Formats: sequence, C-alpha cells, structure tokens
Amino acid sequence: MRTKPTTYRFWNQQQKIAPYLFIAPFYILFVVFMGFPLISSLVMSLYEMRGFQSRIFVGIGNFTDLFGDPIFWKSLKNTAYFAVGTLTLQLPIALLLAILLNSKYVRGKNILRLAFFAPVLVAGVFVAIIFNLVYDERSGLVNNEFLVLGKQIGWLNEENYVMPAVILTGVWQWAGFNMIYFLAGLQGIRQELYEAAAVDGANWWQAFLHITLPSLRPVIAFVFVVSMIGSLQLFDLPYILTNGGEPADAGSTIVMYLYKNGFQFMRLGYAATIGWVLFFIIAIISIVQLRLLGIFRDE
Amino acid sequence: MFRLPIDAEAFPLGKGPMVMLVLFLVSTLFIFGRTEQEGESLEFWIFANTHYEEYQARVPIFEAQNPGVNVHLINFGNTMHDKLLASMLSNFGAPDLVEVEITSIGRFLKGAIDEVGFVDLRPRLESEGWMEKLVVSRFTPWSYRGRIFGIPHDLHPVVLLYRDDLFKAAGVEMTEVETWDDFIAAGKKATRDLDDDGEIDQYAIVLDRRTESDYFSLLLQQGGGFFDEEGNVIIDSELAIETLEFFTALFNEHEIATPVYGTWHGDPSNFAAMQDGKILSILAPDWYVGILKSQVPQMAGKWKAIPMPAWHPGGRRTTTRGGTMIGMTKQSRNPDRAWELLKFTYFDRSGLVNRYETTRIIPPLKSAWDAPIFKEPDTYLGGQPLGDLFIQLAPDLPPRYQNPYWSEGADLLNDAIFAAVTEKQTPREALTDLAEKVRALIAKDQGRWGEL
Repeated sequence: MRTKPTTYRFWNQQQKIAPYLFIAPFYILFVVFMGFPLISSLVMSLYEMRGFQSRIFVGIGNFTDLFGDPIFWKSLKNTAYFAVGTLTLQLPIALLLAILLNSKYVRGKNILRLAFFAPVLVAGVFVAIIFNLVYDERSGLVNNEFLVLGKQIGWLNEENYVMPAVILTGVWQWAGFNMIYFLAGLQGIRQELYEAAAVDGANWWQAFLHITLPSLRPVIAFVFVVSMIGSLQLFDLPYILTNGGEPADAGSTIVMYLYKNGFQFMRLGYAATIGWVLFFIIAIISIVQLRLLGIFRDE
Repeated sequence: MFRLPIDAEAFPLGKGPMVMLVLFLVSTLFIFGRTEQEGESLEFWIFANTHYEEYQARVPIFEAQNPGVNVHLINFGNTMHDKLLASMLSNFGAPDLVEVEITSIGRFLKGAIDEVGFVDLRPRLESEGWMEKLVVSRFTPWSYRGRIFGIPHDLHPVVLLYRDDLFKAAGVEMTEVETWDDFIAAGKKATRDLDDDGEIDQYAIVLDRRTESDYFSLLLQQGGGFFDEEGNVIIDSELAIETLEFFTALFNEHEIATPVYGTWHGDPSNFAAMQDGKILSILAPDWYVGILKSQVPQMAGKWKAIPMPAWHPGGRRTTTRGGTMIGMTKQSRNPDRAWELLKFTYFDRSGLVNRYETTRIIPPLKSAWDAPIFKEPDTYLGGQPLGDLFIQLAPDLPPRYQNPYWSEGADLLNDAIFAAVTEKQTPREALTDLAEKVRALIAKDQGRWGEL
C-alpha cells in the first residue's frame, strides 16, 4: 500500500492533484522559456525597436520589407543550397558508409565507426578554423594536395565556391553522425528477409532496393527531416568560416542574417520577423517531406 | 541503524517524491539563502583575453586600496557584447563598468539619445580636467551628439611594417619612402617573380579586400570617413571614391598588392605567407604588432617599421584601426566607486606601462608617454624603438566619428570594396550605391519615428 488513509481532505485529493504537480515543472518551464518568448517574438515582429526602451508599431511593415530585401533572398538561396547539398551529398554518403560498416566483409568496424563519428564531437567553431586553413586559396591543403586542376580555387574568396566549401565541410562533420542512424536502422532489418530473397534468386541490388530501402523508410524520413531542419538553421560553421558571410554575403544564411539584424544592427523586430518566416518555411518543408515519405500514411 | 524522524512511507506517493521534495527545498534554500558579500560590490565586464590578464593583476591592488570594495571582473569573450545588449534591453543585469569594441558600439547608440544605456562621462572628465590629458581625437569613436559614452583604452596608431631584408634585396631603401607614390614605385621593384615561372612570388603589400579594415584605415588617413560629425553619410564623397580607386589600383593596375591569406590579417595562413617571404609589408596598428609577437615569434628581427606613406608630401603619416572603450552603465548602483575603478584601470601610469609591456598598446594618457619603456629598443623590430615611433605619430591621429548605423554601413561597405576590387563595379558605382542604401535605411527609420 503506497499511502495510508487519512482524514485530511488534502490527502484525499492528492491522488488527483499529484500527477499535475509532477508534470507541472515541464509546463511551467515551457510557458516561461518557450511559450512566452514565442508569443512575445510574434508581437515583436509587428514592432520595430526605437533604441533600448521604446518601440513603434509597424504592422506587417517588417514582413513587406523582408520580402523586398535582397540580402534576405540571398541568404535564403544560400541556405536552400546548403540544404539541397546536404540531402543529395551528405545523406547518400552516410547511407553508403552505414552499408559498408554493416557488411560482414569489412574489418575493424569499431575503429571505423569511431573515426567516422568523431568529427561531430568537434565544436563547430574549431571545425571552421581548421577548414579555413584547409581551403586557403594559396597555401591550403585542398588546392595544394588534392586538386591538380591547373587552377587555384578561391574556396572562400570567390562567391561561387563559398557555399560548396561550406557543404563539403558539413559532409565531413555530419555524415558520420547520420551514418549511426542508418546503421541502427540496418541492424534492425531481419536477416531472414535477405535469406528468403537469396533463395528466390535476388541479387544484391534487388535486395537493397526491395528490402533495405523500404525497411529503412522511417529512419530515412527521420534523418531527412532532422537534417533539413538543421540545414535551415545553419549558423556557426559559415559564420566563422566566411568571417560573417563574406565575401559579398556569399556565405550568409538565414539565421546569420537574423543574428546580424538582432544583435549587430539592433533591429529586433526585423530579426523576429526573419525568425517567424524561417519557422513557417521549416514547418511547410517538414510536412511536405513527411507526406512524401509516407510517414502520415496508415500502415 | 539510522532512522528517518518521519515515516517516509506515510508521505504522499511514497519515499521517492519525499526525497525529491527535500532536495528541492535544500537547493532552493541554497540558491536564495546566499548572503551577499559584505561591503560594496562592483561588476566589470570585458571581452579581450589580453585585458583580462592585465586587470586580474590590477584588481587586487584596487581592492587593497579601497577596503570593503569587491570587484567582480568577468571576461565573457566574444559573447560579451550580445550579453550587454540583452541586459540593456531588459534593463536588468548590466555591470557597473564595461569595455566595448569599436565596431560594436554603434548598435548601443540607436534610438533617442536619452535612452542610451551608458552614462555621459563628459561632466566628470571636464570637472576633473582629464580631457586635456588625453588625445582628444580619440574620444570621437565613443561620442555621439555631444555626449561621451566611453573613455578610450588605446590610440591604435598605424605604421607600415616591412621586411627590410627583402626590400633591400630588391634594391629598395624603405626609409626613403614618404608618399604613397613613392611606395608604388618601391613596390613595383619589390613585387617579383623570383623563379621565372610566370607567377609572382612576393608582393609588396598584403591588403584585405573582403572587409573594410585596410580601405577604411586609408580613408581615415585622408581625413574622410563613413559619417561626418553631424551623422551625415559621406562614404560617396570624392575623397572616399579616390581612396577606393587608389586601393583597387594597388591590386589591379599596379599589381603590387595581394589579398590577405585566409579571412583576415590575423589568420594563420597569413602568418605562414609572411614567414615564407610572400608578403613584404602590412599596415600595422600597435595591437597587431602584439599579435605578431605572440603568434610568429620566430620572425623577430625580420620586420622594421616606418610611418605610413602620406597622400601628399608633408601629409599625415598615420591612421587608426580598432579600439576599445570603457563605459559606465546607467544601471550602476555605485557610479562614484565605479568611476574610481575606471580611473585606476585607465589613467594609472604604472598600469599603462605594464599594458605596453604585455600588449604593445600605446595609452591615450599623454603623461604616460615619457616612461622609459617607450624608448626602449624593440628586439622584434631589430632594435628599433617602436613605442617611440607610435608616440610620435599619436598626436596626428585622425578622428573617427561614431554613428548608430555603423554596423549596417560596415557590412555593406565590405561588399562595396569587394565589388570594386574584383571589378564588378567601379569604385564610384560601388560607393554611390552603398551611400544610397544607407541613406535610405536612415530615412526609413526617421520616417517611422521622426528625427531622434
């Protein structure tokens, strides 16, 4: 028996009240640190700060300004470029690594798993500093050791190469992390399915297409959505790697532009507007992605 | 055996929740039951590691001289300015004293002048006679609309640091260079393809074409700026356009300048290029010499310094780059004591001499300049007394007028410089576009809330 009967009314009621009390800390923290700031930032997006203490109501003025702001569109384009690069380059590489590490023919799996996973343990700032050296146009490792193209590529100095440099750095840092998800998914597929397919004469590719991929669907959906959200929120890597988006905003992302407006330009209303536009972009893309991958479908 | 004084099983939902409740109560008591340290307390925020080392040694001396005063010195690093902004916005939690970096101060000046979160220090400076004792032009970055919101930590005069050995090898005596025309002539001799492979191996100067740092230094040397004293945008003035034309010509026409290796002058790749002899000179403020000493000590003896080449014979031979101020926030509960600490850290001669020893930073307090240390030969510069050179140049520093729109302006100026150097736009087009954008931004704000 967990409680003793008592004559006090409170103790009689506590069975009903206690569960709410126990879940209350989460809701109190949520309201204070999430709910209130969310509503407050929505309100803020309708205002513009006038110095530190006063503000002025501008209605949807911040939203109309934003849609006519070329740097916002450039930042959006760069962010989308990174997201597409991540999904088309990083995730296939992560899946490939997972398949290799899941293969019975590969030796030293633990060491390889650690090696591929290790980059994610390095803070983004250090990654950016290291890759600054790696990408240097004239003395960097990439131009001097790997590329024999007869052309020194200005990875961080030429506008067209800045985002590819950021994407490749992202691959180095995050492919191993996503590989772990895929590996977990692969290890959850029942071996009997492959054995049955082999008996039926299926080759490796057919087994991959008809067993591996469909079985991995929930994992792929999860990794896709999480990677997409992470990509759209990209900030620290390009901020350090490109010294705040230089040259000519070629490395600017939405969150970087939000940060600059909020903290460097003291345009908090405008920054809140960028935040809300980003929220809607992420929400719409995530819903579309999940629908396309059939996550909402009844099995 | 130890027994709890109460029956834990009788507690609603049992022993576990009781333990949680006890822990909650104990931690609450611990958090809220702490007594404040006795005596007065001052909080001092900074962002620079080198300053932290200096003040860490100075604070105990101040505390010893002022019994009962506790100074909380906090180094927040690069995040400090954002924390300060948040504390000023919420009107809660700001320190008594704070150091602010020159490119960050503009955002704190937005809005009505009475809403600025810093105390106007002009009355204290004037009543105690400090203005005459400091380099007056150095107050411009920290002043706005006649009020002084900060006291300069430094002067940051700029010299031309050059590789004497390599210029001499090219037949150039740099001490004879007086104007930028002389420098171009010297630079053309020194910029060379040493192994005849068709590629230039050493450039006369390294310049940053991605950010405003070098261009803006040159513009200030000319007596120009982004904003004038009244806050008007003057970045499309003929002076500014001429300066950008000159800057781009160093790369594209005279071909004696190379873009900075990496993303800025302090990048390890840039230091590597210096060591490899690919870079023969650089525009160097005092703090940059300090960085070179700590980052590439192996280059000791290879550098020498001359005053910057002038735009015209007899013209200004220096400029200024970078800077830090100390300000007192309006949230300070003890402004008089804070003012004493401020004076102790910024106006104390022995402290300023110590500052030069560790960071090579020349102080704005003129009475400190006759200290013997500034005349001492500098081994890093092959025995040249660098402090003396900086001090000779210090009285001629150009003013740099501060403006709330500096951050937005500088961000766009970076793009304009890059566009001009990479010949996407002419210098005139780039700066005219830039000035129009910044004027439109200001006009829009003024349209919303009127003149401030």
